[in-house]
Amino acid sequence: MNLERLPNEEKLGLCRKYYLCGFACLPFLWLVNVVWFFREAFRKPAYTEQTQMKTYVKRSALGLLFWFTVLTTWITIFQHFRAQWGAVGDYLSFTIPLGTP
Amino acid sequence: MSYIVSTAALGLTDGGGSRGNDSSPEQNGQAPTAHPQVVENEEDEDEEMTLKYGAKHVIMLFVPVTLCMVVVVATIKSVGFYTKNDGQRLIYTPFPEETDTVAQRAVNSILNATIMITVIIVMTLVLVLLYKYRCYKVIQGWLFLSSLLLLFFFSYIYLKEVFKTYNVAMDYFTLAIIVWNFGVVGMMCIHWKGPLRLQQAYLIMISALMALVFIKYLPEWTAWLILAVISVYDLLAVLCPKGPLRILVETAQERNEPIFPALIYSSTMVWLVNMADIERPNRNSAEVGLPQQNTHGAVASPAPASPSPDDGGFTSTWINQQQHQLGPLQSTEETRREIQQMPSARPPVEDDDEERGVKLGLGDFIFYSMLVGKASATASEDWNTTLACFVAILIGLCLTLLLLAIFKKALPALPISIFFGLVFYFATDNLVRPFMDKLALHQFYV
Repeated sequence: MNLERLPNEEKLGLCRKYYLCGFACLPFLWLVNVVWFFREAFRKPAYTEQTQMKTYVKRSALGLLFWFTVLTTWITIFQHFRAQWGAVGDYLSFTIPLGTP
Repeated sequence: MSYIVSTAALGLTDGGGSRGNDSSPEQNGQAPTAHPQVVENEEDEDEEMTLKYGAKHVIMLFVPVTLCMVVVVATIKSVGFYTKNDGQRLIYTPFPEETDTVAQRAVNSILNATIMITVIIVMTLVLVLLYKYRCYKVIQGWLFLSSLLLLFFFSYIYLKEVFKTYNVAMDYFTLAIIVWNFGVVGMMCIHWKGPLRLQQAYLIMISALMALVFIKYLPEWTAWLILAVISVYDLLAVLCPKGPLRILVETAQERNEPIFPALIYSSTMVWLVNMADIERPNRNSAEVGLPQQNTHGAVASPAPASPSPDDGGFTSTWINQQQHQLGPLQSTEETRREIQQMPSARPPVEDDDEERGVKLGLGDFIFYSMLVGKASATASEDWNTTLACFVAILIGLCLTLLLLAIFKKALPALPISIFFGLVFYFATDNLVRPFMDKLALHQFYV
């Protein structure tokens, strides 16, 4: 899919759909949105739909940042305290490493 | 099974008129004057185009094929799961290969290969029939489910094995997030719209996943036999006048519709940038015209908006093979094969740039990677054999693309590469290795 050949309304529509779908716990989708539409929204000369696109990209970036912090905190906590949590830690674990922690 | 289709070639052979402009860019500004001159110039243009077209596209296909093979080989070497023999087999290869005598093993592997091929042929025919009778919804649903299963289930298994190998703890929450994101974005990129690079990356990843499944669940001799027989089948199915794939291509061409967003990797290239600009007014009118056509015609264009040839699907039905753990298998490999075998979409008029790309079916990726993966898994002389097979496949791919540029019609991509690959594998494994060992033993440097 080449963005170059889409008319502006379709680009905006696409950006918007990516933004909205990202709310379904899909930070990756927001990342794709930001990376893909960054040049369209910020580097290209202005056109009518661009302001709207900018808001979408910015909000996607914010959402991405939020998820990133949540995930990193959770992962750090989990990896650090997993052994100490005993049974609960095992229950939460998908793979349990061998050997002593 | 898979096509290499030169979209430009298809364009050149089919929709004559609209293509006419493409082949003679310098004449866009002029009125179509003296006919002989135009024809002659067009011919020169065609020849030039062929040559330019060939070299760049070869390189553009090298990269994804190499990446896929690298992923498969890296996984095989590091994650033990895929080379471990669990005693599990696919439902399609019921005969075990751990038999007492060599003869029994040979017979078993031949039987396995026969069953597999029969299943594939049947599924191809089913697919062609479905397509002929316009049961597009069925096919689309099938593809969708297959890709769903592949993107979620197989990647889950893959992640589990990788984490186990590297002894990393992972909790369900993070895992769920990862798999969910990977799967949903994959579905969107492949079946709907997404950035080209991401779509290509996803197609490579699922081809690698599928190849890994094959490597794990097909016993040795069966695997080699299947590779050989599938190449022959591919050759027949694509080139014979009554071959199912040929019928499929022709039907699609008659109906003037793009063939599925299925399982095709497209290496699009913005080649004629000037053309793009010049063509813009044409294209816009073509765009306007096309949606109307789409609503009129019985064409259920799989992609909702634009029948972009970039929509690769996946040969995901293979996933179902995993289901021997879960229950009866349904449409599996065959479906996939068929899907793979489906030639690439003929590009719509508007996608001028994309038409210059070469399309390679995902099945090709899968079988190339499977060959190289098997070679690295089972060969005694580790990297020599793997590299030899890798080089052989790339050479085969070059030759196939060359033939494509010459013949300008859909060609099977498997036979040459697989043939070379097999020859190199067996030769290297059985001839070169002892030779190198002897040389090293006697400290004789050649």
